[in-house]
Amino acid sequence: MLNDLLYRLRAFFHGKAMDAEMDEELAYHLDREAEKLRLQGIAADEATRRAQIALQGSEQVRQQCREARGISFVQTVVQDVRFGLRMLRRSPGFTAVVVITLALGIGATTAIFSLVNAVLLRTIPVRNPEQLVVLQWKAHNQPSHLSTSSYGDCVYERNSEDSSGCSFSYPMFKEISAREDLFTGVMAFAGPWNLDLSGNGPASIAYGDVVSGNYFQTLGVGPALGRTLGPEDDTPGAAHVVVLDYGYWQRAFGGSVNVLGRTIHLNNSVFTIVGVADRAFTRLTPGKSINLWVPISQADALGTDRKDNIKDRRWWLTVVGRLKPGISTSEVQSALSLWFVNRVTLGDKPFWKKTDKVRLLTLPAQKGLAGIRNQFGKPLLLLMAAVGIVLLIACANVAGLMLARGAARQREMAVRIAVGSGRRRVIRQLLTESLLLSFAGASAGILVAFFGARSLTAFFSENSYSSLRLNLHPDLPVLLFAIGITVLTGIAFGLVPAFRGARANPAVSLKGGSATVASARPGNRWFGIGNGLVVLQVALSVVVLSGAGLLMRTLNKLYSIDPGFDTQHMLLFSVEPELAGYNKEKISMLYSELQERLSALPGVLKTTYSSDALLDGGLWTSDVRIKEQTGDSAQGKQFETQMLAVGPDFISTMKIPLVDGRMLRKSDMGTTNRGALVNQAFVHKYIGKRNPLGLHFDSGDPNEPDWEIVGVVADTKYDSLRREEAPTAYIPLTEGGATFELRTAASPAALMQSVRDVVNKTDSSLPVIRMRTQSESVDRLLFNERLVARLFGLFGALGLLLVCVGLYGLLSFEVARRTREIGIRTALGAQRRDMWILVLRQGVALVFAGGVIGLAAAIAVTRLLSSLLYNVRPSDPVTLTAVASVLLLVGVVACLLPARRATRIDPMEALRCE
Amino acid sequence: MTEQRLDLPQGTLDLLILKALALEPMHGWAISERLQQITSDALQVQQGSMYPALHRLERRGWVKARWAISENNRRARYYELTAAGRRQLASEAAAWRRLAAVVGLVLDMG
Repeated sequence: MLNDLLYRLRAFFHGKAMDAEMDEELAYHLDREAEKLRLQGIAADEATRRAQIALQGSEQVRQQCREARGISFVQTVVQDVRFGLRMLRRSPGFTAVVVITLALGIGATTAIFSLVNAVLLRTIPVRNPEQLVVLQWKAHNQPSHLSTSSYGDCVYERNSEDSSGCSFSYPMFKEISAREDLFTGVMAFAGPWNLDLSGNGPASIAYGDVVSGNYFQTLGVGPALGRTLGPEDDTPGAAHVVVLDYGYWQRAFGGSVNVLGRTIHLNNSVFTIVGVADRAFTRLTPGKSINLWVPISQADALGTDRKDNIKDRRWWLTVVGRLKPGISTSEVQSALSLWFVNRVTLGDKPFWKKTDKVRLLTLPAQKGLAGIRNQFGKPLLLLMAAVGIVLLIACANVAGLMLARGAARQREMAVRIAVGSGRRRVIRQLLTESLLLSFAGASAGILVAFFGARSLTAFFSENSYSSLRLNLHPDLPVLLFAIGITVLTGIAFGLVPAFRGARANPAVSLKGGSATVASARPGNRWFGIGNGLVVLQVALSVVVLSGAGLLMRTLNKLYSIDPGFDTQHMLLFSVEPELAGYNKEKISMLYSELQERLSALPGVLKTTYSSDALLDGGLWTSDVRIKEQTGDSAQGKQFETQMLAVGPDFISTMKIPLVDGRMLRKSDMGTTNRGALVNQAFVHKYIGKRNPLGLHFDSGDPNEPDWEIVGVVADTKYDSLRREEAPTAYIPLTEGGATFELRTAASPAALMQSVRDVVNKTDSSLPVIRMRTQSESVDRLLFNERLVARLFGLFGALGLLLVCVGLYGLLSFEVARRTREIGIRTALGAQRRDMWILVLRQGVALVFAGGVIGLAAAIAVTRLLSSLLYNVRPSDPVTLTAVASVLLLVGVVACLLPARRATRIDPMEALRCE
Repeated sequence: MTEQRLDLPQGTLDLLILKALALEPMHGWAISERLQQITSDALQVQQGSMYPALHRLERRGWVKARWAISENNRRARYYELTAAGRRQLASEAAAWRRLAAVVGLVLDMG
């Protein structure tokens, strides 16, 4: 072993000297062999020749000896790289096109992958996340007799087949915690809640999770500063404490160490900051970012009812446990299922019937805590597929360029093989060049990926309701992915040209200059591949373009839907006065005052408010019962209707047409004589031909007063543009938070600051939540469609550009290769027109072939998009025709330059150029 | 060249070279001459493959090379067996004999 190493080292460092020794050794051998032959009576010249033949070429022997000495691997790699770099530098145009193509392909793919990684793959940044499980119930029906809250941590199903959820009551959490035979720790959390934070600059909204005392211990998350929460904090009567998120601490508190011991007001209660959580703990559920954590026992200080919080009929906590070593999820599942099923189906008021098939699932937290995966998972995978296709196009494109170049370098390869370089050596040389190119492409691609990922995150957070923070820092999977696709692309586009280069036949290629003419036949072989690659590129880009076209038509159709009210020139913002300590009477005074002051602002035409804004993400549905006459308490039928609590002038500010009756008045807002408006769908579905005016309805609770229908308004969309207008009742707003709607004369965005000032002047402790325009809200509703459409469009354009370059490259090469033939044809009287046709025919034929294959493939795969489409069939003829025409146009444009060059060939020069 | 010449089975060239060198140090050409002699021209030893083999053996430490004056008064590269080379020769020769015996046995069976 040692000998081997020393030898290799000597060989590496004294390579020249060893080469010289070998030359001498071989020369000696040849002399002795020739001498022997001369003694046998052979003439001197002939003897030397035979001696050389016997040795089978001294250059090959030398090369084999070098390889036998074992240095050659390192040396040849260095040699190959050096030579490769020289070759690439010699053709800067080619190198630039290839590097840019690869940079775009690799960069875009890596950018999308880093998003997929952040949303779908990244593990929870806590200690041993694989030991964490989250509990989820599943049954054939919704549980009854209880109130549930869920905060989007889990997949929340609610269909005819199955219902599921991961909210549990506080007593249930305590009972699960007691199972020390299964878990080393069980924690619970709920949130984020919007908390009104003051005592740190102007009042603001903070997103706070309410967590059990052992939250941090169970997750294995330590403090970056101070301490985290402990079980002693989560006891009734404990001091009010809060732990800050690291990022929030940096942003809102400037990362100051003086925050320890500082007090802040959360929903008007005093809390002491005791610590900052570890920096690495950026999230538990993907996409949810929490600003601070408060113990469950102190949830009542945030304005909730403690007695209510610990009721068994209030399911609001997500429960996460850390498995005891040696205990499997299935063991936990079977142990807890029995307990759970008995608990929820027995007793005097069971949550489920025995026939509901209640189950308790124990899911790995990584999978169970889905968060934004619910919403973005599928679009992201579609984008990954699209960008993968673009990368394939880029590979095919570069392979085509490499082939053309390989054909041009055939003589070089022939010379190399003739002077004794093995075919393997030639393949290696060519592959080295490919890898050099792909690594150069990848380095540029990393830049593309960096900026791409950054603008994608910006696009994401600009369009999410709460602050959405995605961790896009490159980690090991992203790096491995980038390196992996780089090497793979290098091999993918380099392999065919490399083998082709190695197959160069020295005898044919070196037979004088005739090579270029004679190669019309052997050239056709690689040309088949060159054509095939262009057809492949065209077909792939048709698939992406069709997807883009369908999505754009969908967006177009969605945006042209009439929502039933005017979405232009509207500014929205929300307030939660209850969090700032307002009671019911003070709230209605506040709203009246705000409405008055805001309406007086220059540029504001009209102001109103409502419990939720339309087309803003919220939806309130409730069961109502229509009464035939006042005082009728008999069993009326229950209907589900959409509800919206509105302030004065809502209908006129939103510009919803009044169809019958009158608008709401101040007098309708009372506690006994309550007026309401319903829409036409409500009348059509639940009232029929009768006169709706004067009819009464109630919420089914006999203790609540009813509403009298005083007017009928036109239908509007509520939570979704796609869904058909449903029955809706507008009732007077008397309590709770509200969203203000301002109808402005000009651009609503310009008014944002003055509106903020008005609210601050009215009450500086009242934070303005989510100032946005109505059009932004609509954009957010269509976020998935816009994201996918925009990126598909981008990828489609990129694919088209690459196809253009590929076709141009192929035809240019073709024209150059056939210069002599074209010269002869021109000399024999062919017209310019014939030359145009000669080139165009090939280009158009390729585009046509690729187009047909691509359209067939597109029809097959675009159905994957169908959940995103609206009023557009996956095989929409308009889109497919448009894609085909764009493609043909681009194809013809790509042919123009080479075709022009063909017509400019001077027959005299063409014939002389050989 | 007679048609009956055998091609050298893979890996046996090293063994033959080691055997040739077991008697005395030799230079490359002499080794090829010796191999032709002792195999009575029945084996086709490619001169071209002998030098890479010698370099390989040198790398493995089974032979070592030095420059010396040859029988015709010129500088030539002489190879000689090292102690490791002798051990290698012995074990490879034994292995070869066992293999030949077993193959012979199989072929002799009815």
